Amino acid sequence: MKPFLLKWFQTMQVSWSNLMVYKLNFFLQIIGPMLVFFFIKLSLWSSIYGGYDYVKIGGYTLSEMLSYHLWVMIAGMIIMSSTASNLSEDIRLGKISSYLIYPFSFWEFHAAKYLARQVIQIIIALITIISCYFLLDRLYIAFEPVSLAIGFFVALLAGYYWFAANYLIGILAFWLDETWTIMVGLQIMTYFFSGAIIPLELFPETMVEILYWTPFPYISFVPAKILMGHIPPLLPVIGILSFWSLFITLISYLVWRKGLSLYTAAGM
Amino acid sequence: MVKHIFSRIKHYLSVYQGIVITNFIESMNFRLHFFLLILMDLLFYISALASIHIIYNHVETIGVWNREQLLFFVAFMLGINQLTMTFVSEAYWRFPELIRTGDLDFILLKPIGAVFSVFFRYLRPGSMLNMIFTWGVIIYYGLILNLSVFDWCALPFLLVLGFLLQNAIEMVISCSMFWMLEGSGVNFVRMELQQLARWPDFIYNKIVSRILMTILPILLIGSAPIRFLFNANDWLPFLGMGLAILLFWGVLRFVWQLGLASYESASS
Repeated sequence: MKPFLLKWFQTMQVSWSNLMVYKLNFFLQIIGPMLVFFFIKLSLWSSIYGGYDYVKIGGYTLSEMLSYHLWVMIAGMIIMSSTASNLSEDIRLGKISSYLIYPFSFWEFHAAKYLARQVIQIIIALITIISCYFLLDRLYIAFEPVSLAIGFFVALLAGYYWFAANYLIGILAFWLDETWTIMVGLQIMTYFFSGAIIPLELFPETMVEILYWTPFPYISFVPAKILMGHIPPLLPVIGILSFWSLFITLISYLVWRKGLSLYTAAGM
Repeated sequence: MVKHIFSRIKHYLSVYQGIVITNFIESMNFRLHFFLLILMDLLFYISALASIHIIYNHVETIGVWNREQLLFFVAFMLGINQLTMTFVSEAYWRFPELIRTGDLDFILLKPIGAVFSVFFRYLRPGSMLNMIFTWGVIIYYGLILNLSVFDWCALPFLLVLGFLLQNAIEMVISCSMFWMLEGSGVNFVRMELQQLARWPDFIYNKIVSRILMTILPILLIGSAPIRFLFNANDWLPFLGMGLAILLFWGVLRFVWQLGLASYESASS
């Protein structure tokens, strides 16, 4: 393996080891919340529909609504794997000094960590899909290879956006003592505007038109709909997601450069 | 005996006064974080209320409640959340670190109850200001629902009872960190339980609802007092809530001692 790739692979291996040491913690932090969130939505929507499958709300029957939320959960497993929670601590406590010497940059290190997590979460997502396919019958999982492939591709693109956004917030620690409030704020907005709680068809029309220009719908609603077999024109989807991903990456680069000029290497 | 109790209460109040002052001074040193905390909480409150509004734009009732009744319930739960965020939330996140680093030793040495010192040591003054918002929403929907004078008088006490039950349960759960290498994942379990409790009992199926009203009575936190407010004849869950508060604060004493017995005191 080329030395450049080897560095990435070895960092990923270290991340896997770390995650495996605290398996229960990983489950409680990442998988548990998704399962509980899904269970709440399942209960809530079943209650809203009163158990009747012939009723339609926003164009969804009960089984379509439950199917939608199942795919939202699966898309979330792939997309929202990055947390970048340690990033700000690294900066605040002066731990990034070592990255300035290493032949592997701070961004590369965190990107490799993100990829390591991503691999695990993709495996978990695949296991979930297969389990649901056999356990819940075709009622909730319509297994269409083309939709699955496109859905996974869009989810991976959205996953990169999520990593880039979290990374940007993390490196704001050059100026802020705590960045977790911004991360949680972004999560709250994302859950609401992405259609993770309520499908966007139920939102006011004008609001949805505006939302389509933001990255939010591409984090839950769009990937879930694609995975369900409703494939929209892909060019705008990929275009808008790529724009936001590149834009955030560029801002991160500028913020990093500006931040480094202020960095005092605390503890050195 | 009575004199002794009063002198202990006085002692704890004087200690808490010191805690309040220290936390206010600290938060004034990190003003941006202070404002971000307020903003984060407000985003959460607004998204929770907006979600209900959007759903009710498409349905008449959810379960047995109309829009105003459910919004009043959600506002009540946000009121409990605001109290938790203000008085104890920070402590839950710091607790695993106290155990892991052995800093809990210094708390155990103090001539004051360790549970009090661990869980009530950190106050978030920013979240305290959000009381204006949560109480504003509670009062607004309370007025629409024509609450009686008795209801208005009972409301603050019911809110405190909800806060006591929620945190007794969460503190018991947090004690499991004594037996874990990395306990931060337990905080996500706590948050998931809060998510479950944030919806009325009738949205869950009978078995789940029964479990969450008895064995792990998180649904009593909001559903019991609100059902009692809406219909005074529906007092049984409210009685259960009172018993659950006593039971869980008792269990906390026991579990805390058990946890301390297995605490390895890393710094010693």
